[in-house]
Amino acid sequence: MTFRITIDTGGTFTDVIVSDASGRFYVGKALTTPGRSFVGLFNGLTAAAEQMGCSADEVLKQSDLMIFGTTRATNAIVTRATAKTAFLTTEGFPDILVLKEGGKFDPHDFSVPFPEPYIPRRHTFEISGRIDAEGGIVSSLDESRSRETLREIGEQGFEAIAVCLVWSIANPEHELAVGELIEEELPGLPYTLSHQLIPILREYRRASTTAIDASLKPLMRDYLNQMESDLRSAGFDGELLISTSVGGCMHVHDIARRPVHAVKSGPAMAPVAGRVYAQREGMGADLIVCDAGGTTFDVGLVRGGELVFSRDTWLGQQWLGDLVSMSTVDVRSVGAGGGSIAWVDVGGLLRVGPQSAGSDPGPACYGRGGLEPTVTDAAVVLGYIDPEFFVGGAMPLDVAAARNAITRIGKLIGRSAEETAFGIMSIANELMIRAIQEITVEEGIDPRESLLIAGGGAAGLNIFPIAQELGCTRVLLPSTASALSACGMQFADIVAEQSASFPTRSDDFDLDGVRATIEQLKAHLASAQDFAGTRIGGAGELSVSVEARYEFQVWDLEFSIENPVFVSKADVDRLVNAFHETHERIFAVRDTESVVEFVNWKARRITRLDHPKHFGNGHQEADRMPDGVRGAYFGADGWSETPIYKATEFPPGFVVSGPAIMELPTTTIVVYPGMRATISESGHFHLHPETQQESREAVVA
Amino acid sequence: MPAKRKLDPILTAVMANRLDGIVREMSNTLLRAGRSAVISSARDFSCSIATADNQLLSSAEGLPGHIFGTQMMTKAMCDLHDDLSEGDAFLHNDPYLGNTHPADHGFLVPVFFEGEHMFTVCAKAHQADIGNSVPTTYFVHAKDVYEEGSLVFPCVRIQRDYETIADIVRMCRARIRVPEQWHGDFLAGIGSARIGERRLKAFCEKYGKALVKQFIREWLDYSEQCMVHAIRRMPKVQLTNTGAHDPFEPILPEGLPLSITIDIDPDKGNIVADLTDNPDCVPCGLNLSEASATSGVLNGIFNCLGPDIPHNSGSFRPVTMKFRENCVVGAPAYPHSCSVSTTNVADRLVNMTQSAFAALGEGNGIAEGGCGLGVGMAVISGTDPRRGRRYVNRLMATTNGGPASPMADGWVTFAIPVIAGLMYRDSVEVDEFKYPIRIASMRLVPGSGGAGKYRGAPNQEVVYGPRFDKLTAIIPCDGQVYPARGILGGMDGSLGRSYKIDARGKQTKLPNITTVTIEPGEWLLGLDTSGGGYGDPLDRDPERVLHDVLEHWETGDRARDIYGVILNQDPEGGLVVDLKGTEARREEIRASRAS
Repeated sequence: MTFRITIDTGGTFTDVIVSDASGRFYVGKALTTPGRSFVGLFNGLTAAAEQMGCSADEVLKQSDLMIFGTTRATNAIVTRATAKTAFLTTEGFPDILVLKEGGKFDPHDFSVPFPEPYIPRRHTFEISGRIDAEGGIVSSLDESRSRETLREIGEQGFEAIAVCLVWSIANPEHELAVGELIEEELPGLPYTLSHQLIPILREYRRASTTAIDASLKPLMRDYLNQMESDLRSAGFDGELLISTSVGGCMHVHDIARRPVHAVKSGPAMAPVAGRVYAQREGMGADLIVCDAGGTTFDVGLVRGGELVFSRDTWLGQQWLGDLVSMSTVDVRSVGAGGGSIAWVDVGGLLRVGPQSAGSDPGPACYGRGGLEPTVTDAAVVLGYIDPEFFVGGAMPLDVAAARNAITRIGKLIGRSAEETAFGIMSIANELMIRAIQEITVEEGIDPRESLLIAGGGAAGLNIFPIAQELGCTRVLLPSTASALSACGMQFADIVAEQSASFPTRSDDFDLDGVRATIEQLKAHLASAQDFAGTRIGGAGELSVSVEARYEFQVWDLEFSIENPVFVSKADVDRLVNAFHETHERIFAVRDTESVVEFVNWKARRITRLDHPKHFGNGHQEADRMPDGVRGAYFGADGWSETPIYKATEFPPGFVVSGPAIMELPTTTIVVYPGMRATISESGHFHLHPETQQESREAVVA
Repeated sequence: MPAKRKLDPILTAVMANRLDGIVREMSNTLLRAGRSAVISSARDFSCSIATADNQLLSSAEGLPGHIFGTQMMTKAMCDLHDDLSEGDAFLHNDPYLGNTHPADHGFLVPVFFEGEHMFTVCAKAHQADIGNSVPTTYFVHAKDVYEEGSLVFPCVRIQRDYETIADIVRMCRARIRVPEQWHGDFLAGIGSARIGERRLKAFCEKYGKALVKQFIREWLDYSEQCMVHAIRRMPKVQLTNTGAHDPFEPILPEGLPLSITIDIDPDKGNIVADLTDNPDCVPCGLNLSEASATSGVLNGIFNCLGPDIPHNSGSFRPVTMKFRENCVVGAPAYPHSCSVSTTNVADRLVNMTQSAFAALGEGNGIAEGGCGLGVGMAVISGTDPRRGRRYVNRLMATTNGGPASPMADGWVTFAIPVIAGLMYRDSVEVDEFKYPIRIASMRLVPGSGGAGKYRGAPNQEVVYGPRFDKLTAIIPCDGQVYPARGILGGMDGSLGRSYKIDARGKQTKLPNITTVTIEPGEWLLGLDTSGGGYGDPLDRDPERVLHDVLEHWETGDRARDIYGVILNQDPEGGLVVDLKGTEARREEIRASRAS
């Protein structure tokens, strides 16, 4: 009997899913332990193991695969808690990270300050030596001056170095030499060379991606090493993979070398899960996938059954933030979650977030010394959360502490505790609504035409009023909603990619060279896939693609090569024709007179992991009466005695009309007055308005 | 805020954003499919959607200078062609017929749905070359359109039934330099417009004609209401401002004096901009077409009214422009040249308009932004031995510091007032890949921005030269005599300069408007201009000044001498503000000003 474990370590909670051989999912949840993530992981695993009737140790020992997602990288970037990083650039170009590529949203808005560069200007060092567009050396690298610079960097206590030299993609000699000098002068200091990380044209996007990668190296290396060694000591002997930005996963050692791939680790997986659930419930191919965690609210989309990717991923706002130029699942985050702190501003207005109480000390009701009122505290005061049944009863909540915290700021605005708490929920809803609108309405997508899939521990508390405000009439809350990203990892594949630059032209095509390039790429992937092939996966699927353009163009179009065999002129014609077709499909025109330039060749191996076939708990209960009644507060409707349903799962066809509260071990669903929840065949929650809508107004009051 | 609407607000927002989304997709097509660096890297183009009755409807992040006149171009299309039909496309670059200047090739496609003309899409892009008598798209010396010599297309049909009319293509290929590059850009322009057409058809399909028409009407009315509302919040006042373009020897030895009078009437909810008190047309390429003058003034006004007003024909309604026949601003008389119509004088017009609002007191107006198409924005040409053919392209390797505002320091990658930071910059690698040049350096100059409570953005120094063969640069620079002015106590920005560096390293200053040819081993060095400051530098937060010094935006000397901020070494070797010393120093400066 073997298990597969997936883990999503968020800012507040660590979600754990264990799937067994039959495909059954067991969800465990525990507080994240920022000091040492393994502790939270183990606690979550223990919670899941209990449901399986065994211990966490046993599960660990019998698991052959663990996929791990973490917001560690993102949090470090957002809070600027990354390493003190030196930026090494070609002499004459110190401002690459300042100037970026230009661009701005509103030409008439002069209120926005120009953004600070990712690495301060005073941490930028110019390196002599220049390479030209064809890779020729214009002036050589001055070794002794470079050594001096590196010594200075050492003396100033830098913790990482990002190296991006002009035209390193045409000739990496100088970057490689700098790499060697770093090894000699500052042995052990982590560094990233741009041509190795992301060999793309355009110095800014290469430099920015490189800078972010280098700045993450020390902390991600330590973090992942610690995690792996903790897991090994605990007896885990399987493969450890890390969830990546592209919605796939990579080996833990690979990600430590290229931590920039982890910037959307975790959140990128929620749309992967959403897609699977919607498909299996037969609920359409256009989805809005929300993940309401303790710290952030993440929104991603699925359009026409496909994940939405972006090659220009801005950490922060477009043009104002910093660019990561590798393909990434498009997920937007706002700082609003259960841990978001409510406060009263100088003008006397009630505000929520973006500060979060995190997991330590956490909301006041956690009783760990937190005094600030949070969204979770508001939910406790409103009676939405059963203090004895939080995280399945594993963590009793301190109602008095929550009430005190809320009352304290209630006084500042002259409102009762419940009115204040309801206000806090409403404001948090607004932030989440705005985040959804940003990725839908502002892109011209009508949210009313999409299925809203809600996940995350806090989703059930307020997804009803959010959906109502957006006009979404179809909402799906999977039974494993509280761990949506970890769910997605259960359906992830191992994606390994290798690319090589080998420019050639349609009018002078180097058949031998292209053939050799593709063979090399395949050989490289074959050597890198030992772990995947031998231990957990079947054979991988190999695909080859090329980035090409018409002569004079500077942006490439990538398209996959159906049959990557190059022996004759006919093969070249086929390739050229495929480019014309791709160009016309995307840009509406083709230019058959123009020479086509083929630049980068890519091989990608996707090792399909066996995905769980069923995923519900399987056992069913008969129809049932409420398990109890509790007072809950619904704004203008005031307090009402609200039926409480408690179960580890609910039977298909079961219907609950609001007001009611449904409590599962890892999530609570508040069925507001005027709303209804129906359980689907697979045990998931379909939420929708009652057909009679008399009391609707009250809910969003 | 606006009057009651019949469409529900979510649907209205969705539809308006969908149109912007279509414009963004058109823009992305032009950027990615374009061939010249001016299009594919610098994004010197704009896409927009007009209604069938020629009102600008949607333009997303288009350049105000490009798009605020779209409706004039689509009107020309409707006026000239009574046989519009599906599958048509038109090329329009005539400044006497609603376009900005001949370098901007506009690709217009009427969009039909169920047999009815519903929209016209416009993709308008600054070309690398347009067949002028000399290799530049900014021909200051042209005494009239004949000397200018560009191929002009007064809204000429280039596609019928989705088939390109090959005659036009042959005409262009026969005359435009580096025809392969032009043809690629031509295809990208058509592709962009066709993408817009496809998406708009789907848009009509989805919502139906009736709803689309209702949306158009209501959206334009809503935009007008937003504008009226903003005007009603202002005092009733007449603002007058003057300015000048730099001298241009020998035609304009004193430069070109300019003026504007703006009447704001909150009671009527309108603004009248009077541009009649400006010189007669000049015998060079600096005359402003109606489209350029109109958008320059609107641009300056929008800069002072704050964000959140949609920019379309609806919000233009409350603004009236007064032009005078045969005047350099907005009403050129044929055959005067408008070759440089979109930048130099237009930039001054934006600056004059936005800084005029400073008369309303602290918190109002915007300082002047750096201007001038210097060495970093020259049109370069020559031969590329790597490919055995000619090249020509407008560089976008400039910075020109942005103006300070009542809320923020100047935007660093500003470019010029009509661009206002919207365009992209050239990548060093892309420029060197496409053209046989080497860029030796590109760096911001510390301590160069116009000082103020809010600081103008700094200028930049750029050095480049040819690798194999001689290079000709045509430089139409302004901002080397008259700086970008600071307002309300803010200091002026720095002046631009151009130099030639010979093989022995000797630097020679070049005239502001010039044509220069250099050999391999020789270099051009350009210093562009910085932005004007806003408010008294002595009011700047000392901690900001410290940050400026630490991050090399400012120098220690200027911190002490101009900002009156004293910085001391702290024990760890860093810098800290000496608050007492700063207070004393600032008093001292104030006293010396008074005496």
